[in-house]
Parts: sequence; C-alpha cells; structure tokens
Amino acid sequence: MDKHRADFDRFVADSTDPLLRTAYLIVWDLGEAEDLVQETLLQVARRWPRVRRMEHPIAYARRMLVNRALGGASRRSRRRQELSNGAPPERPTDRSDPQAFDAHDELMGALAMLPPRQRAVLVLRYFLDLPEAEVAAAMKCSLGTVKSTASRGLARLEQVMRPTNETRSIPT
Amino acid sequence: MTDQLEMDLREAMQARAAQVPADAAERLTRHDYHPRTRRLRPPVAIGAVATGAAAGAAAVVISLGAGASNAFAGWSPTPTPPAPGQLAGAQTSCEQSQSPIAGLSLQLSDTRGPFTFSIYANSTESATCIKGPSFTAVSGNMSSYPVNVPAGHILMDSSHATDRTGGTYSLAEGRTGADVTGVTLTLDDGSTVQATVGNGWFVAWWPGLHVVKSAELATSSGTTTQTFDNPPVPPGRAGSRGGMSSSSSMGSSGGGGTGTGTGTGFSFQGSSNSQ
Repeated sequence: MDKHRADFDRFVADSTDPLLRTAYLIVWDLGEAEDLVQETLLQVARRWPRVRRMEHPIAYARRMLVNRALGGASRRSRRRQELSNGAPPERPTDRSDPQAFDAHDELMGALAMLPPRQRAVLVLRYFLDLPEAEVAAAMKCSLGTVKSTASRGLARLEQVMRPTNETRSIPT
Repeated sequence: MTDQLEMDLREAMQARAAQVPADAAERLTRHDYHPRTRRLRPPVAIGAVATGAAAGAAAVVISLGAGASNAFAGWSPTPTPPAPGQLAGAQTSCEQSQSPIAGLSLQLSDTRGPFTFSIYANSTESATCIKGPSFTAVSGNMSSYPVNVPAGHILMDSSHATDRTGGTYSLAEGRTGADVTGVTLTLDDGSTVQATVGNGWFVAWWPGLHVVKSAELATSSGTTTQTFDNPPVPPGRAGSRGGMSSSSSMGSSGGGGTGTGTGTGFSFQGSSNSQ
C-alpha cells in the first residue's frame, strides 16, 4: 500500500505541471485548468491500483483531462468567448523580440477562436509533440480524425494569420 | 507555409504555457489526492449499526472568486433565518458549480448571516456547498456503503479549508441517528456552534481551524454528549489558498453503538477557480 502511495505521489509530482499547462492551452483559463487537473488527478487516484499497472499512466491521465475539458467545453464556451473578447493576455516581460511576440499573440488569439476539439488536437500535437497515434488515443478518436481535425485547424490558423503576415511583409 | 506555421505554433504555445504561474502546479501538487480507507471502531454496547456501514470521504473543493479581506463577516455561531432569496441564490450558485453536486439532491441548508451552507446527497454520496458573498466552495464525500447511524448519535465529517485570501474555516456535517433533534458542537477552544439539523443530517461551520471535541445532542429523552478525538489541525494542514483537508469520525458516547467496516474514498485538498 505504501508503495502504491509513493508511486502515486511521484505520478502527481511528475504529471501535474504538464497536465496543467496542457489544460491551460485547451480551456484557455487558468482557474478552469486547475480544476480540470485536480478532477483528473482525483479520478486517477480512484483508479490508481489499475492505472499504475499501465505502461503510461500519464497517457491515461491525459485522456481523462482532455475528455473532461471537451465535456465541459459547451458549458465554458460562453465564458471563454467573453475572455477572448476581453483584455489581451499579459505579455511576458523577458521577451526581447516584440515583433515575434506580436506574431505569437495573434496566433494564440486565432487558436483561442478554434472549436475546442481542433484546439485540443493542435495542443496535443504541437505543444506536447505527441505522435498522431497518441493524440488519437487521448482524443478517443481515429487516426484519420486526428489528421483531418489538425489539418482543418491549421488551415483556419493559416487563414487568420495570412492577411497579417502579408501586411507585415509590406515595406514601410 | 504550413511548416512555418507549425513551427510558429509550437513557439507560441510554449510562450503561452509559460504564462502559467510557477507556483500553480506546485500548489496543486501539495494537495492530497491519496485513496484512503477509514475504519470505524468495532461495535460496542448495543452494536446498532449494520455491518459494513462505513463512509469514506472525498473532498473536492471549488472556490470561486477572490474573497474580501474579511471573508467571514456576518457569520454567527447560531443559524440565522435566511434573507429573502438567499436559499435560492445559494442553490443556483452551488448547482452551477461542476462536480461533485451533480446528480445529488438538496437535503439541508444552514444559513448564518450572508452565508449558506447546503448539503446534497443520495444514498452513497454527499456534497456540501458553502456560499458566501465572496466565494463558493464545494466539497464531496463518497461512501462505500449506505451509512447507518445509531439512534441518538451522529456521524460527523469535518473539514478545514483555506479561502483564496488565506482565511481559514472549518466545516462539520454528517448524519444524525433517529431521535436526534439538535446538535451543538463544542470546539477545542471551548466555544460552541449550533448546527442546523433536519432530514437526517446536520451541518455547521465556523471561521478558523478549531476542531470539534464534543457534540451535545438533543433527543426526546434529554441531551447526551458525544465526544470526538480530533487532534488539533497542524499548521498548513488546511491546505494552501483554496485548499482543504478533511477527516471523518464517529466519536464515542456512553453506551452508544458504532459501526464496523471500511470504505474507500479519497481525501482531496482543495482546488480553486477564478471567476
């Protein structure tokens, strides 16, 4: 039993930060992300005797997290929309390239406006650098669905970003 | 273009994720999510509790909103009549919260000034919700078996929590055995808090981290005292801001029966949510 507890403690120590940052990018709100992570860890704790025997317990936790995030997406959508329309995110103070930050800011603004499933796929694929097969497992969908969802998401981002980039490329 | 976009996306996501405060994950890591088992003492005297009657506790706390500096102003040690709309407003706020209230029915509400403390339950799960002017906190308990409490006794779950301003408060809730019509808790500083009792439940809460040492129970045959062996809350045990710790106890009293059995659940210290 003590070993189980120690294993779970290690799991919490190792997984909380990546889960929190992943949740933050998916739901776009730190408070929501914290709740999701805690609910996920609680769920993992309930099933720890089984989860600990899995090859990758973090993959299980990630699947629970994404499922919860997307399950609550409709409930949060109105609130997130209000956030999206509100003040821009705080800018990191240590960035030395303001132009690069502006591009990031615009890209994140576009990401925030994507449908939740598209955003989740892109976060798993490009923030966590998961292979498409692992994204599919986390999303509980097929590999083909991951590919098409990511493709649509990237296309929308590209569409949103293109006018800005073109404008930026015009010499002043 | 897509390759460049993918590269930009990776960079932008890393930058966005870096905005998560350094202490956020550390705060979550400090919470206690451990599965735990609670074993009630074996039957004594009348042994009135059915075998297997036990409760494990799980607490999920969702604190919504930043608190005022004096988050508990208006609290009183005795329940007060609800203001017009207070109960309905609290119910709306509590049920808008996510787990663990979903699917549970409102059993009892306690009002003290502007605060409403409600308990929701079904046969094996319960959840409490405390709604104040500056915060809402929800916690849940799970039982492995239906809880059966001897007549004239109470089964108490107590919790200690910290709101977002660092203010601490304690909750006590539980089941009342048949014939219990009143519960007055005595804390370890000698102060008393009168609980609200009804529908087989009692609920009370108070600012600070004082623990319950005994409960005076009103019954049709007079008053009895049930004592509890709750140790003082160690510094920091109430969790970080938005955190909670919880414990369960049947306590003891002269000639009273207690149950035996185990229930598994989880203690889970806190969670927080901005609003």
